[in-house]
Amino acid sequence: MKNKILNIKNLSKSYGAFKVTDEITIDLYFDEIHALIGPNGAGKSTLIKQIVGSVKHDIGSIILDQEDITDLTDVERAKIGISRTFQVSSIIPQFSAIDNIVLSLLDKSSKTFQLFKSVRNNKELYSNAKKILKEIELLEKSDISASDLSHGDRRKLEVGLALAMDPKVFLFDEPMAGLDENGTNMMINLFKKIKSNSPILLIEHDMDAVFALADRVSVINYGKIVATGTVDEIRRNELVRDVYLGYEI
Amino acid sequence: MIFEKFLNKWILFFLFLIPVLGFIFEEPYYITLTTKVVILGIAGIGLNLALGYCGLISFGHAAFFGLGGYVTGILSFHALNSELIFSWPFIASGSSNMLVIWPIAILSSAFLALVIGLLSLRTTGVYFIMITLAFAQMLYFFAISWPNYGGEDGLSIYMRNSLPIVNTMDPFTFYVICLFWLLLVIFISVKLINSSFGMAFQAIKQNEERVKSVGIETFKVKLLVFVISGTITGLAGSLYTDLNRFISPSVLNWQMSGEIMVFVILGGIARLYGPIVGAAFFIVLEQTLGSYTENWQFWLGLILILEILYVRSGILSLFEKKLKYEK
Repeated sequence: MKNKILNIKNLSKSYGAFKVTDEITIDLYFDEIHALIGPNGAGKSTLIKQIVGSVKHDIGSIILDQEDITDLTDVERAKIGISRTFQVSSIIPQFSAIDNIVLSLLDKSSKTFQLFKSVRNNKELYSNAKKILKEIELLEKSDISASDLSHGDRRKLEVGLALAMDPKVFLFDEPMAGLDENGTNMMINLFKKIKSNSPILLIEHDMDAVFALADRVSVINYGKIVATGTVDEIRRNELVRDVYLGYEI
Repeated sequence: MIFEKFLNKWILFFLFLIPVLGFIFEEPYYITLTTKVVILGIAGIGLNLALGYCGLISFGHAAFFGLGGYVTGILSFHALNSELIFSWPFIASGSSNMLVIWPIAILSSAFLALVIGLLSLRTTGVYFIMITLAFAQMLYFFAISWPNYGGEDGLSIYMRNSLPIVNTMDPFTFYVICLFWLLLVIFISVKLINSSFGMAFQAIKQNEERVKSVGIETFKVKLLVFVISGTITGLAGSLYTDLNRFISPSVLNWQMSGEIMVFVILGGIARLYGPIVGAAFFIVLEQTLGSYTENWQFWLGLILILEILYVRSGILSLFEKKLKYEK
């Protein structure tokens, strides 16, 4: 049996009487892509925010690689190996694409507090950043300001920022939203390649991509996990069709 | 960027030319005026690191400017009257040696910035502005109510503090000392801005949540920027006391914080030489309009409004555009 890298138990969060996440238990195994699907407002992104620590949960626990990270801050969680993308592209707009990636490499290479050495003279950082840009097919646009990149390229850049951290797990929040077919295929191939190093918890509305990628799928509705299973099991699940898919696939 | 570097060279050229002409034609007034620009430019560069490059809108930098100034004034005052500053837990006497005064002023400002930063950086936005303002105002009222050092009337230093070998009372010599500090501060700022640390704090200004998500401890980065910024402004305060041979609580007042901020905004936020241009513009206005009316700041307000509405990148950007067209 495979080992769990991420184990979330009974995670709950309420805003007043409204339960955004309701005793969510979900796990992620090594070498796995676990997709999280559900209608808008079901609580998927809030769950991601609770896992990364930017939203504090009310009860529950989060175990990463056998370490309880429930009480860690968002920065501490990022440092020990949780890397994410945002639902709405979140980049450093006035930095070039390559500088965005270099920023993401700083902590891992313990360079954040290097006060007087020019970062642009650090060949190792920039060479590593170029490798990542090549992987996400943005190498030719490395010097373009991130704010001038197209929507699709910004999504790719976000994934690049996550890759640069070389984390234990990836939390990808709709990484393929707005991508064209080529972009989506690139992402699918990339995710298949990287999942063996760092498994992926994937939120995605593109069901073709989900079914092409996911080893397991969980369905969330009104803050509750209503089903978990393989792609085939989820496709056959009538409750899932009712709450989300709504049609026969 | 190329235009900005070109402009910066011209700024330094004029900053050097005016006092040299003042020296040749024996017009110390212009030397002193340029020295004031240099010192206030240093204060502005300090604030610009926090405000312009890291997005920390501090409305309390007068605290560091004033503390640097008061440390200089108090050390000098005690050196002149030969009284101890305190005798417990250790004996501390005054000094009129700038080589002693500068490190103490710098370290005191750094420590104050650390304390204020630790508390205020837990907040953001308007709360950060208000808490930094509150700290500076506390120091202002403390200085007013401290009779030992002149209270509201301030503290006079009859002799400018000294440096071995050189005559600091000579306006041109003192100008050269201040220019040395300005060049050093510019050098340090350039190094910081281009470093990985600089990359981190400039990114924080644009998108702090993203910076956190890549594992960078933004609180520590902001705190260090704030301390460096406060330290530089404190150094400027120290030089300012020596320039005027006088220090009063007015340099701790919120108006001083506002003026340093005006230098930054006038010259151009996040432009390294912007605060120098801003300070120069401010002083020229003060000297010219001030000779016609006491309420010259009315016109400063009008200029600020026009600049914010039409030339947000500061005075330097005006020259930049002109140069581009000429090319």
